[in-house]
Amino acid sequence: MPFQLQSALKVSALLQFYLSCVSPETITQLKNMKMRKSILLFMALLITAVIWAQQRTIKGKVTDAKGVPITGATVSVKGQTAATQTDAQGNFVIQAAQGNVLVISNVGYAEHEVTVGAGDQVNVSLQQRNAELSEVVVTALGVSREKRTLGYATSTFKNEEINRVAPVSIFDGLQGKVAGADISNVSGSPGGSTKVILRGYSSLVNGNQPLYVVDGVPLSDVRPGSDIYSPDANANKGTATPGYDFGNTANDINPNDIESISILKGAAATSLYGSRAANGVIIITTRKGRSGKLRVDVTSSAVFSKPGILPRLQKLFGQGWDGRFWASENGSWGPKLDGVDRLWGATVDNSQLIKPFAFVEDNVRNLYETGREYNNTLTLSGGNEASTFLFSYGNVVNDGFLPTDNDFYRRNTFSLRGTTRYKGFTAEGSFNYVNRSQRFVENGQSASGVGGSFYEQVLQFPVDIPIRDFRDYKNKFFNVDNFFTPFAENPYYNLYENGSRAKSDRFYGNINLQYKLFNWLTLQVQQGIDVTNSTTKLWRNKNAPKEGSWNAGFNPEGAARQANVGNVQEGSQKFYEYDGKVSALVKHRLNERFTLDGFAGLTYNERGSNILYSYIEDLAVPGFFDISNGVNPPQSTHFESKQAIMGLYGSATIGYNDYLYLTLNARNDWSSTLPKESFSYFYPSANVSFLLTNLWSVDKSKVSYAKLRASYGRTGKDATPYQVLDAILSQQVPLPFGTINFPFNGVPGYTLRDRLGNRQLQPEISTEAEIGGEFKFLNDRIGFDIAYYHKVSEGQIIPTFIAPSTGYNTITLNFGKIRNRGIELSAMITPVRTRDITWDINYTFTRNRNLVTELPSGLNKFQLTGIFDAKLEARLNQPLGVFYAPVPKTDSAGRIVVDATTGFPVAAAEDGFYGDAQRDYTMGLVNTFTYKNFRLGFSFDYRKGGVFYSSTSELLMFTGNHYKTTYNNRQPFILPNSVNEVVDGNGKVTYVENTTPIDEEHQDDWWYANSNRGWIYQHRIMDKTFLKLRDVTLSYTLPASVANKIRAERIVVTLIGRNLWTWLPKDNQIVDPESSNFGRDILSEFGEFRVGPMPRSFGASVRVSF
Amino acid sequence: MKTMKSIRILYLFSGIALLLAGCKKITDFNNDPNTLPVDKATPQLLFPSAVMSTAGHIHGEYAITGGLWAQYYTQSALASQYRTLDAFNVNTTDMNLAYRESYIGALNDYVKAQELATAEGNWKFNLMATVMKAYTLQVLADLYDMVPYSEAFKGQANLQPKFDDGYSIYKGLLAEIDAALAKDYKSGTLSSADAKADVVFNGSMDNWERFANTLKLKMYLRMVNAKPAEAEAGVKALYTANAKFLETTAGVDIFKDEPNFSNPFFEQNIRKLNTTTNLRASETFVSWLRANNDPRIVAYFGSTNPGTIHQGDFTSTNPAYGAAAVFVQHATDPVYFISEAESYFMQAEARERYYGGAGAKALYDAGVTAAFEQHGLAPGALLTGAYAYPVAGTFQQKLEAIIVQKWASFPGSHDLEGWFEKNRTGYPRTSPVYSTSASYVPGQLVYPKNGVTNGLFPKRLLFPDIERSRNSNTPAEVPITVKTWWGL
Repeated sequence: MPFQLQSALKVSALLQFYLSCVSPETITQLKNMKMRKSILLFMALLITAVIWAQQRTIKGKVTDAKGVPITGATVSVKGQTAATQTDAQGNFVIQAAQGNVLVISNVGYAEHEVTVGAGDQVNVSLQQRNAELSEVVVTALGVSREKRTLGYATSTFKNEEINRVAPVSIFDGLQGKVAGADISNVSGSPGGSTKVILRGYSSLVNGNQPLYVVDGVPLSDVRPGSDIYSPDANANKGTATPGYDFGNTANDINPNDIESISILKGAAATSLYGSRAANGVIIITTRKGRSGKLRVDVTSSAVFSKPGILPRLQKLFGQGWDGRFWASENGSWGPKLDGVDRLWGATVDNSQLIKPFAFVEDNVRNLYETGREYNNTLTLSGGNEASTFLFSYGNVVNDGFLPTDNDFYRRNTFSLRGTTRYKGFTAEGSFNYVNRSQRFVENGQSASGVGGSFYEQVLQFPVDIPIRDFRDYKNKFFNVDNFFTPFAENPYYNLYENGSRAKSDRFYGNINLQYKLFNWLTLQVQQGIDVTNSTTKLWRNKNAPKEGSWNAGFNPEGAARQANVGNVQEGSQKFYEYDGKVSALVKHRLNERFTLDGFAGLTYNERGSNILYSYIEDLAVPGFFDISNGVNPPQSTHFESKQAIMGLYGSATIGYNDYLYLTLNARNDWSSTLPKESFSYFYPSANVSFLLTNLWSVDKSKVSYAKLRASYGRTGKDATPYQVLDAILSQQVPLPFGTINFPFNGVPGYTLRDRLGNRQLQPEISTEAEIGGEFKFLNDRIGFDIAYYHKVSEGQIIPTFIAPSTGYNTITLNFGKIRNRGIELSAMITPVRTRDITWDINYTFTRNRNLVTELPSGLNKFQLTGIFDAKLEARLNQPLGVFYAPVPKTDSAGRIVVDATTGFPVAAAEDGFYGDAQRDYTMGLVNTFTYKNFRLGFSFDYRKGGVFYSSTSELLMFTGNHYKTTYNNRQPFILPNSVNEVVDGNGKVTYVENTTPIDEEHQDDWWYANSNRGWIYQHRIMDKTFLKLRDVTLSYTLPASVANKIRAERIVVTLIGRNLWTWLPKDNQIVDPESSNFGRDILSEFGEFRVGPMPRSFGASVRVSF
Repeated sequence: MKTMKSIRILYLFSGIALLLAGCKKITDFNNDPNTLPVDKATPQLLFPSAVMSTAGHIHGEYAITGGLWAQYYTQSALASQYRTLDAFNVNTTDMNLAYRESYIGALNDYVKAQELATAEGNWKFNLMATVMKAYTLQVLADLYDMVPYSEAFKGQANLQPKFDDGYSIYKGLLAEIDAALAKDYKSGTLSSADAKADVVFNGSMDNWERFANTLKLKMYLRMVNAKPAEAEAGVKALYTANAKFLETTAGVDIFKDEPNFSNPFFEQNIRKLNTTTNLRASETFVSWLRANNDPRIVAYFGSTNPGTIHQGDFTSTNPAYGAAAVFVQHATDPVYFISEAESYFMQAEARERYYGGAGAKALYDAGVTAAFEQHGLAPGALLTGAYAYPVAGTFQQKLEAIIVQKWASFPGSHDLEGWFEKNRTGYPRTSPVYSTSASYVPGQLVYPKNGVTNGLFPKRLLFPDIERSRNSNTPAEVPITVKTWWGL
């Protein structure tokens, strides 16, 4: 038995390699060895796979009950790995021996078995049936389970649904289609990040992103170069780059490589994944090769984009301030537009430009060009009965709609996967390499005095000045010296002269070995690895208006623009994650009535990062962007982290008579980020599935499927690293603008860290109960899935703000209780189903309500973030994320108190409530029509309610470009229903009617917080409701006769539209409320800070299978 | 076959056991590789960073406020950074950063340094940390009237420290200074590395003793309105003990013209602000310099006849305002805690108050001379002319001369004190008319054009929102126009 001996040796080798976790300090030494071992092992597996049996070719055709060919049905040989798929005509070819049993299956049809006889032709007709009865869902730790046995809600999407819109990242095609999931693109720029929130926010600061699991192994999902990694990071230090979005690493996966995505939301579903799964789990199963002939799939798409929502501007008033024309102003507070030709801009060489004083239509839109996105994937797959392989190469090139290729994304993905089987032994390997290159045009507000960002300059163009003309940014009227205003910069200068770049190399993959020890017992060892090396570079050029030029102060206002000194920042971000597990899986029919499924195991996960930033400010030689080119020496910051979790888990499902299933789960974790006293924590869960339609015989044409579910579970969550101990660190004195750094003149200076450590830290625990059901009627023509959940998250680990007088700014505390409860409904209706025509409707509804039910003693609120005087807070007995900002002071009769001198409202002492960040509800609607070979699909995404802060709005109001700033035609007005406060000699306060008008000169001050603090926030904090036509696709499957001409099996051509149309409420005609540059977690709910438009795209794709 | 399987199972489960044993060490991961454990802290490491934090805030955001309110400069009509401050339109969130950093970046480190220095008997650093702590806290107490002191700096042990009234804080701080002075800080000399960590005096303990005494003098003089007897006793005790006062400037003078290493006022107002021309010459101060032909006008405003803006007139569209002189600042400007001139002026006041004016004139002259020397200038004939000490005048006339000269010595280096001293002594006088009026007397403080406090001047800051929102022991809000405990 030489081979078996070999396999045993391999198991032990794997174990040794896996056990390297026992000594974390040796991991770095082992890192290279591990990789080599993995590759060697995989090669060996591939070689052993080349074993063929005595077989012949069987051909066949698969049709439905009406004789219509079924495309893509799986035909496999029972007990072997050989499998193939039917082509567009339902035909298949497979190698099988006489007496073998062929299993024919397809989603939505009953599985059919047929024994190979003497003949070479096997024709099969499949009966349509209840999908749920046979549907298999990948659940915790990669274990497949029949969906009917699950006592909790799951949503699963297959390759075709995921890829219909030719997405670049995995969720681009699923927005608005998953009940209970809030999926958004945050920057909309090529390669930008995706935010995924399942069942609302439950953590204040520890992150609310789900755990991504690919083929049973966690995937690292970080944002190299975009997030602040150090808890003590200082924004001025060069570590944080909130104006940049270089994407999240979960988006490195090529969507074409995905077989299916399952979304697990509740605690019962996710608890086995351990601490990181408290926000839900996204389970990704990648495509595998199938036995049979070599299969080649080519998918190609070209998608073109234009900006979507752009701000609506006022059209009545032109350049100026205080109601007067100023040629050097960056706003539209000037006189009424009259269309008369007028000199404008700087006087250069005694000449000035001339243009009509008129509104420029589509001024901002004209700035943009057409973005181009090309997405190609080539997949080769095949195999024999024992072994399969799949190789894919994907390439994405996306140059966004900004002029230049400074908004750019290129990704190359290589995947190699193989499985091999010999008797009871199965080995699988998956290896993926991703190479990514990205450029991003800074949004938000850049470091003052260093260099400008792009979009905030655009917002400061008076509505009568054509922006696009300024693309010739070296022209004497548009250059640094003579750009029309000293208060802003030429955006094209920032586009062409400043920039950023991110590059990343990533390897991830896993090896999964299984051995079937007994019929009922399988042992499994799986080791995953995920390593990302990325570098980022930011640069801004140096410039200053020439002495004596317009912007050096020689303009009508005498204002001088500050010089930009320029900078260069180089960053290196390394991330690693190792994950290993050893499991035993049990599947046993105990007797006629009872079945037992289960598994138990041990897992060890370690991850960490090493981040180094080096930067210079003030370039010695302009235009040379190297770290050596500083007037001053470079400064560096470094952040390193490492954390590990070990978990012991077990799960058992007992089935009774195929209609009642009870699952019990339990897990214990040991986390490195908690103090020794509390680093071990246990959490169990249980769920029940009850199939009514299996218990009672009902008329299946009326009620085809009915299942009730209930679950109850807990999840535990650890802390971010280094919250336990106190420390001192090198001081950086933050000033309102800038810092004082140490070492200073050779003197080191350390300060007690602002955050107090906490040796009493405990894990966060969430408890969740869920009930629901799945029902189908009228031969599956109508169906719905409903879930109600109630989740309480306790003991949140939060760096809580404490009074500065304690000597510290924050302490990491367990505090708070947040309750999330909600309803998720998905419904599907098939109003029309005939031989040629089908019309399917899918509808999802989600309503999540969260409430902060407890805060630590003495606190009734906790500020999450804020800008100017707008704050996003957690307040007791209010939803998580409430907006508070100044409100006008009112008298007892509710009249607004106005300053008698200025006529402006006086701000009340206490901030007022402006709404909360959570949605009232969200809905998704997908319509699909098929007619013969045509398929038309379109989906709507409606998210109702909630507010957000818009800095785009804020800046447009300041500059007088905002459509609301024409209030009262900018004529003098007295604030209606306003009073003045009068205090007499005895301190007695009375109120008299206000008679002070806001004159024409002060209309601009009305729209600015410095002068109208109590009033302005109602216009900056806006309704974030939207309705989007997320996607429209029209597919045509070419007739087989045409496909066959190029020897293809199947050709599908699809026209694609993404985000073609958006409706926004009257209150917000300014900015896409989905966009944010505050990351992608709860802080992103604060809103946006001068973020640019999101794309609207259209294109076409072709999928060819050979 | 069975044995093979058993061996395999054995492999697996022994592996699991090993894993369990080995991974117990994971809590060692809690040692943050990016920071030093707190037990590695020394006074030498903590002191310089705390001093820079004091300098960065008391001579940063607070100084800008004080300077606007002392009317050295005013908000430009073409920019908006300090409009609200210049209009006395103060918000509770305005000074959040300065307040927070004064506590967590400066005071907490001084307290820790005191504690460590005491534990190791390092009385030199104990004195340094005590004096700087007292200086920083005294300024905060003057700004807010009440701040946490006796229950502060206790971390988790007291998350809601009570506020102490200014007088109690003064008493506590004076006692702390006395205790530090009572220790043996004189014997031995500091190593050159330790001396370097003293970014104020480079290890001169004589100067630290003088700084301690001068700070005590400053605090006693601040009590003259509220606690006259105690003030007198305190000052007299200093003289009785032949206390030596500062004859040099206590401050930081090691700034460089490099980002992140510059004078904090310059760094935040010029280098890192998108508009560098917010602070323009105020008619109040410039009219006084002009009337006296004071050569410091060039040092302060870059010209012998700078254009000015009337205080707080930032909404005006007066075209001349565009050309108003920008307040001159340099990256390398020093920060003063107590200047040499200030030391002399305080001694002169003490002499006038308690010793019948003996030696007051000489100290006044030394003060004026030192104030000019800050800018490489000499008062020359001014000392016998416009600025001559009113030897024959009343006490109030003498006090006015001292305080007005002191006021004129502070801009750019120590702006906050000009406003404090105005509130303590009433000098420079308040003008009954705006500075555009023909009857305006140069140098008198005017109520700013866009003021929102009904003609009343600010005497304090509002309790900061950052403390109030986190500490329920924060006292009820008091309007900024209400005087502090020592105010006039």
